Amino acid sequence: MAVSLQSLRPCFEGAVPAVIATCARDGTPNVSYISEVHYVDAQHVALSYQFFSKTRQNVLENPRATVIVIHPCTGAQYRLAVRYLRTEDSGPLFECMKAKLAGIASHAGMTGVFHLRGSDVYRVESVSQVYGSPLDAPPAPEVDVTILRACMSRLSAAGDLASLLDALLDMLADPIGIEHAMVLMHDPSGERLYTVASRGYEESGVGAEVLPGAGIIGTAAQARIPIRISHATSEFGYGRAMREDAERRGFTAGLDDEIPFPGLPGSQSQIAVPILAGERLLGVLFAESEATGRFGYDEEDGFMVLASHVGAVAALLEDEPAAPPREGTPAAGSPASPRGAPLRVRRYAENDSIFVDEDYLIKGVAGAILWRLLRAHVEEGRNEHTNRELRLDPAIHLPDLSENLEARLILLARRLEERCPALRIEKTGRGRFRLHVLRPVVLAEIAR
Amino acid sequence: MTGGTGRATPLDAELAAFIQGGVSVVVASRNAELVADVVRGCGCRVARDRCSVTVLVEPSRAGTLLDDVAGNGAIAVVFSQPSTHRTIQLKGTDARLVAVTAADRTVAARHLRPWVDDLCRIGYTPAFADAVRGHPQRLAAIRFTPTAAFQQTPGPGAGQRLAT
Repeated sequence: MAVSLQSLRPCFEGAVPAVIATCARDGTPNVSYISEVHYVDAQHVALSYQFFSKTRQNVLENPRATVIVIHPCTGAQYRLAVRYLRTEDSGPLFECMKAKLAGIASHAGMTGVFHLRGSDVYRVESVSQVYGSPLDAPPAPEVDVTILRACMSRLSAAGDLASLLDALLDMLADPIGIEHAMVLMHDPSGERLYTVASRGYEESGVGAEVLPGAGIIGTAAQARIPIRISHATSEFGYGRAMREDAERRGFTAGLDDEIPFPGLPGSQSQIAVPILAGERLLGVLFAESEATGRFGYDEEDGFMVLASHVGAVAALLEDEPAAPPREGTPAAGSPASPRGAPLRVRRYAENDSIFVDEDYLIKGVAGAILWRLLRAHVEEGRNEHTNRELRLDPAIHLPDLSENLEARLILLARRLEERCPALRIEKTGRGRFRLHVLRPVVLAEIAR
Repeated sequence: MTGGTGRATPLDAELAAFIQGGVSVVVASRNAELVADVVRGCGCRVARDRCSVTVLVEPSRAGTLLDDVAGNGAIAVVFSQPSTHRTIQLKGTDARLVAVTAADRTVAARHLRPWVDDLCRIGYTPAFADAVRGHPQRLAAIRFTPTAAFQQTPGPGAGQRLAT
């Protein structure tokens, strides 16, 4: 019975080991277990190459081989006639398989033993089901186009980046049912990703950073590919990634300044997909679950559809010019005047980090923006601002291209909301906002 | 196994016990075009003198394997214990189809239980293990003299030839 390779995608989750039979040029057959068979497309699979084996030696001299995979739900077996084409030892396919293999290794109690050297790409020349008595397949996960359509139109309706990201995370929770998720934006100048929105965590983690290449989020960003792990693994876990990240940066001020990364302690399944606007990386959408195998190929497809729409809408929103102030918006200076004990705000010029009283608030571009707003408040009594004026200010060090100012304002507004309610940023129109200062502020600059 | 003299030498007793236990049995041969075929078997029986091994497969699952074995006698069989990943491969060049005996049928029937138990130990359900293994109505028996044995447990020693 002929079967499409695409319909067999659950067989390629690594839940049940596959076997491959090859033949040497002298006619000696060989059979071997394969840790990971990866679905590449409707005509190709890739096998993990972990060490130089007889299988590999054989396919290099005689490329035709037979693979048997097992459906993880039904137990049905499928015979794949394959032909070895090439090995990739870097790039998106390799990165994706490396992350997945780490999850498989962890599941199999083989962490540290499995190490990917290459992705061996094979063309699948035929697929047939092996005779047997498989179990009934569970109903295929519903890829509900109606829900997807509703989600897309809600995303399209977002008037700014903050509401776009909120809509995305809200919809993931309901109706899609994915409750632990976050969006990280990419900062091309500092080469890092910072959390701007999250759902389902005790601490929002807004401001927490990840380096490209670190963990599954960093890998999805760097390789611009979706990455999924179906079983917890320390190798790609964000705990380790965060620690390495801090070490690599030689963070002199110590980890006290770090905003802890949110995360599920019992996380078993994780998915990270890039949010792209054309070629440009805007950020990463990440979700996780305490259930193993929560994110399959269908979820990956769904995440990619949503993330690509978010990327396109976000890019459109970036180009919007500032609108005149909204009708009925109270005039400048009308917010309640500051009262109570003064806030002591310190800025360390070295990295634009801002401390309010003794507590770390924010650093980098968002720190520089806040400093500028507070100085305008103290020195000029001005609280109304435009994105344009920030873009033109050399003190803020915005990178020339893809400055992503809106994302930094979201980050700043949310950090203030969580850590310093006496200061508040209110959007007053497209490209405009107001700083509310509820307590008097005293500014102190700590020079380099 | 054959030593330098080409004379069959018996399998190590522990190895013989291992391959007759609750292990997965995966059998491969190849055709005249050097394309290998493979089938998951349903048990194995080692001769009393431990010089030959009979693997049991279900013909309806075997693809072209039985024809291939009959055509050229080349065979490779992997035995693997799911819960420990311990994996051994035996190879031979004189594989042939032999008549299925009552003893073979008993082996196939008995093989199922410990194998299912082992899979359940690592989280599979009995129904799933059962579906993978199937309940063969018909059996074919392939007998061969192991001429080489390889350690294939994942790790640094994988692929090493076992001393005989």
